[in-house]
Amino acid sequence: MLRFDRVSLTYGNQKILNDISFEIQEGQFAVFIGPSGCGKTTTLKMINRLIQPDSGHIYLNGQDIASIDRYELRRHTGYVIQQIGLFPNMTVAQNICVVPKLLKWPKDQCDQTVRALLDMVEMPYDQYAHKYPSEMSGGQQQRIGILRALAASPPVVLMDEPFSALDPMTRRSLQLEVKNLQQKLNKTIVFVTHDMEEALDLADIIVFMDRGQIVQTAPPEEMLESPATDQIREFLGKHQSAPDPAGLTVDQFMRTGIITVKQDRGINECVSRMQHHNVDTLLVVDGARRYQGTVSIADIRLTGHVVKTIGPLVRCVTPTVHTGDNAKECFEQLISSGFPYLVVLNGDETVAGIVTKTSMASAMAEQLWG
Amino acid sequence: MNELLVSILQAAAVHTGYTLVSVAIGAVLGLTLGIGLSRLPALARYLIPLLSILNTVPGIVFIGMLYILTGMTPATVIIALSIYAMFPVLKNTVVGLDSVDAQYKEAARGCGMDHYQRLVQVELPLAMPTIIGGLRLSTVYTVSWAVLAAMISQGGLGNFIYQGVSSNNNALILQGAVPAAILALILGGLVDLLQKRAVPRGLRKGRDGK
Repeated sequence: MLRFDRVSLTYGNQKILNDISFEIQEGQFAVFIGPSGCGKTTTLKMINRLIQPDSGHIYLNGQDIASIDRYELRRHTGYVIQQIGLFPNMTVAQNICVVPKLLKWPKDQCDQTVRALLDMVEMPYDQYAHKYPSEMSGGQQQRIGILRALAASPPVVLMDEPFSALDPMTRRSLQLEVKNLQQKLNKTIVFVTHDMEEALDLADIIVFMDRGQIVQTAPPEEMLESPATDQIREFLGKHQSAPDPAGLTVDQFMRTGIITVKQDRGINECVSRMQHHNVDTLLVVDGARRYQGTVSIADIRLTGHVVKTIGPLVRCVTPTVHTGDNAKECFEQLISSGFPYLVVLNGDETVAGIVTKTSMASAMAEQLWG
Repeated sequence: MNELLVSILQAAAVHTGYTLVSVAIGAVLGLTLGIGLSRLPALARYLIPLLSILNTVPGIVFIGMLYILTGMTPATVIIALSIYAMFPVLKNTVVGLDSVDAQYKEAARGCGMDHYQRLVQVELPLAMPTIIGGLRLSTVYTVSWAVLAAMISQGGLGNFIYQGVSSNNNALILQGAVPAAILALILGGLVDLLQKRAVPRGLRKGRDGK
């Protein structure tokens, strides 16, 4: 449908586009994204010949666009810009009909088009057709901007950051509307944005550009799954797919660096260690650092005066789990056991860490909000 | 008394005639040149300052020089006044077209308008408030400059003023000056009416601050 074949553009000695080639299929929603100055808008404007390439060819349905009259080409290519650019001297109806008029459609056909299009975005003809752009909100204006681009039913519609000047609520509803229109009318859309969320929501295919080159071309799911470079990963940011919660293991959420004490240590050393770290329980290990149980300050107070070492005071009731155990099961155990924490052991029975209700809550928060 | 009124009205009619013809010619010239210059920004950069300097040549000097070329005829008056009337329109046309917001030019290009369509459908309508502002200025100025017609005996309200000045007759001066002032007010008002009609409704809202 639309094909770039080794297109380059240089301003002075700065390469704006460097040997770009790609192809967009009919009916595809292609989103170009990348850091500012990456050449995405330049690429878009080449499609309706607002910018001419230095070298290379652009084919629309197999025809080199350099051989099409540029006014004719633009009249058959929809164009929506960020600043909206509705003509303030024309009514809504006149704005929508700009291109049909340039194409010399008869008047009643123009009227029908205006009615049908306004109907499609649920803006009643009687209420809106004769308003001027200055009498409408930004969101309504851009809706008309989109209708103006669609009026002469062009096969390809170009959109240059059309929603980035709108508030988030309006942006969201317009995104949905555009996606609906595109699917209903089977348009090929070339869309430029710097908003990854927008790209992921709308695109059939995302083209990531940087410094005049295409870095990766992939459907949203594929780009999320395997971003080609760190830069893309950064752009994906919080949208990158979280690991499957069912596959999470307990060691991803445990607290490490737990204070332990050897079982042959004296009561006094144990108490001072508790004071120093401001805890009321210590994990007790043997000479090989294997987990033996816990010792609490309450037990020491009760019977500490009759024993020298903590060995006899060790209790072994706190539930233990092992690293690699399923996180969900561990959480369930923690909650049903009534203990304030679980001890997580390594394969060799040494202490790996503990899971508390706090670490569980923060782990869930991370899953939810990233 | 009746005779006086008739003579004032006659002079005022001649005066109005000079003004309207000159402003019409000047406006057409100014608009055409202005559009031309706005298409050739390189040329405009040099030509606009040059024209501004010409604009500062006193009318009295200019009419004097033209008088040498074209003699004591109404043509001398019309040519001189037309050229003066042209400047404000020319300048405002260039400024008005120049200050059309880039988004409209970009949208017009993207819609597939050619140069002429962009000019007529988008740029000129958007520049119209500024251009008519220039027309108003040149109309009011021309009313006062037309007084100079009397300098080369071509009638108009200037007649009374010149006679009054040379005979030190204040009543005679006022007899010319007051109708000229009223004429300026009336013609200025007419241009304001034109402004209301020629400026598209969509552009008017914001200007009124409503």
